[in-house]
Amino acid sequence: MGTGRRATALTLIGIVALWEIAGDLDLVASGALPSPSEILVAFWRDKADYWPHILATVRTAAIGFVIGNAVAILAAILFVRVPASERLARGINIAIFALPPIAIVPVLVIALPGEGARLALAALAVYFPTMTAMTVGLREIDPRVVDVVRAYGGGDGAVMRWVRLRSSLPALLGGLRVAAPNAVLGAILAEFGSGSRYGLGAYLLGSLGRADPARLWGIGLAATAIAGLGYALAALAAKRVTDASRAVTIASGAMPPAKGRGQQRIAIAVASFLLPFVVWWLLLWLGGLSPIIAKTPLGVFEYLFLPPTGASARERLLAALVETLPITVLGMAAGLAVAFLLAVLGAVRPGIVRALLPIALVTQTMPLVALTPLLVLIFGRGIAVTVAITVSVTFFPAYVTLAQGLAMVPRAAFDLVGAYGARGWTAMRLVALPASLPWLFAAARLAVPRALLGVMIAEWLATGRGLGNLLNQSRGYLDYGMIWSVALVSVLVSVALYQAAVMLERVATRR
Amino acid sequence: MGGGGRAVVIEDVVKTFLVRGSPLTVLDHVSLACPPGSFIALIGPSGCGKSTLLRIALGLEHVDAGRVLIGDEAPDAVRRRGEIGIAFQDPALLPWRSVTANIALPLDVLGRRGTARDRIPGLIRLVGLAGFEEALPGELSGGMRQRVAIARSLVTDPDILLMDEPFGALDLILRRQMNVELQRIWLERRPTTILVTHGIDEAVFLADRVVVLGGRPGRIVGIVDVPFPHPRPTTMFRDPAFHALTDTVSALLAGEE
Repeated sequence: MGTGRRATALTLIGIVALWEIAGDLDLVASGALPSPSEILVAFWRDKADYWPHILATVRTAAIGFVIGNAVAILAAILFVRVPASERLARGINIAIFALPPIAIVPVLVIALPGEGARLALAALAVYFPTMTAMTVGLREIDPRVVDVVRAYGGGDGAVMRWVRLRSSLPALLGGLRVAAPNAVLGAILAEFGSGSRYGLGAYLLGSLGRADPARLWGIGLAATAIAGLGYALAALAAKRVTDASRAVTIASGAMPPAKGRGQQRIAIAVASFLLPFVVWWLLLWLGGLSPIIAKTPLGVFEYLFLPPTGASARERLLAALVETLPITVLGMAAGLAVAFLLAVLGAVRPGIVRALLPIALVTQTMPLVALTPLLVLIFGRGIAVTVAITVSVTFFPAYVTLAQGLAMVPRAAFDLVGAYGARGWTAMRLVALPASLPWLFAAARLAVPRALLGVMIAEWLATGRGLGNLLNQSRGYLDYGMIWSVALVSVLVSVALYQAAVMLERVATRR
Repeated sequence: MGGGGRAVVIEDVVKTFLVRGSPLTVLDHVSLACPPGSFIALIGPSGCGKSTLLRIALGLEHVDAGRVLIGDEAPDAVRRRGEIGIAFQDPALLPWRSVTANIALPLDVLGRRGTARDRIPGLIRLVGLAGFEEALPGELSGGMRQRVAIARSLVTDPDILLMDEPFGALDLILRRQMNVELQRIWLERRPTTILVTHGIDEAVFLADRVVVLGGRPGRIVGIVDVPFPHPRPTTMFRDPAFHALTDTVSALLAGEE
């Protein structure tokens, strides 16, 4: 533990030193990588500008965090009390998980005036991790304690009140730990896409045109620090609670099996698919927005298929999709490959990965919109930058999942092949790779929405191609029909890719 | 309420579970009458359905045939009034609650406030946990946790006491000690008690009547009445008459009649 920490610290110092030298000598992309000291000087110079932006971002993130978590907690309680509701809400949950935030920012700006769009995006970024963690926490309880509560006449409500709620607290706090930086990233993304005046996202957008890499890095690192702070606060709270209540005995709880007959289950599945569209419709109807700017599902259909311009709209959408889709799959594959190599390397040579991990963590909390201009400076505006961005957003969650999978390979399996003289890479090939295959699909499932988000941001900011660009252009032309169509198509593509990964995972785990 | 228990009558109960799609009979026409204030021990091999029978008496498990009456009511109604105390094999404590708060859980569930809590310090002393009132379950040994669970089963001052191998996790010395304590508690309040146990000497030492169950499917294979008057001293564990009875129970368990 101690030596590991020291190795990490030494690596960090080494990297910062290298960075300083490379930056001072303008070694990377002719000055695109400023040295840490240059960034600090720029930060000091701009410090008066930073505060209103930081305050705006923190405010948006904090309010969005509260709203998103409140909804997530109530939803989780409902899902556990009424299991059918969880299956009914499955479509909405997957859509929220899979939607590329950048794709719905313009739509949110249309539907929710003023601050609403930014709060909504921060809240949406928070909802899924908290909801899943809380649902698992509420469900995984000691069934023997439930017997005690029932023995004194307690019903489901009493079990919820006396056992489930408190029991879910560690899981909830684990979810909040993920949710806190998500809220910051969501807020920045929304500021970026909504054209608000204050916030780090807006500041970043305003600074893009200036040839001042040191400021871009400064904004990126400030955003990283805020997101990291959110994570640290949630982690601290989680540690305090979990320390106080270790479970004495372990009992496994499981999700209740789906009840009901075949027909009923199909009905719920269909309803769950339709529900997101109904909610979309209802929200617009309740908002009383003009159908010219706020398109209902029917409005999108009309835009794409009815008028004479429909054909050209479809053509543009299809052309953009054809540009975006292959590069998303390519970037995702590259990200998974990097994650896989890193995970295998971590299993064979743990030292190297332990030293690299802190840097990987920093790139994870750095908001994508802040990272993108930096990568553009280094990689230019071609396909390379899109792939680089996609890899950088997908590899980390995939790595965590895969490393977890490799760690669960029974020691005895390694010992067995070891007994026949296999070690290192051979043991990996014979044991670890097959064992971690199901985890590869789980990792892909996590990577899908992030990959699409990465590609779309690269397209929006850098390459001028694909769905991201089409969305940005349509904003400029006030082509509302296209804005809604791109949002819908992006979410559908993401959900479809996600479902494909889920199905592959199921096939792989059934073996 | 208070003073003396109520009769528990189990009438011709049949219980089947579905095991991988095919029904498995766990209890096959079991009948058992527990007079008010009596102490019944249920003994039998693992998997003979004795825990299930206890859960049925508690009303936590539905029956496929037959019925259970406590006094003249169904167990559900009695349970909701907190008149049944229960201790399971596992202490099943809430890890975030202190010893005191864990013992108070039934009162919380029943919504009892105020003076109901006054008996908790006495119960903690009774089970020998004085000084651990504010300890969390994680800080206690296995035996201490089990004693918390026993104190919890007594907190509502129940008319019926159902215990499912509550001393199974304790070492023999502590187990004897708890047997003596349980006898004292029972003599004081005389709740109708059903104790599920694996320990033959424990059953004979405590009970008025030992009911021996046979397995697959679970049914009653013999009933042994224990004539010794209460309170029974621990010297009884060395009494030849006591051993004669434990031998009878052993023979029934082994299927020798």
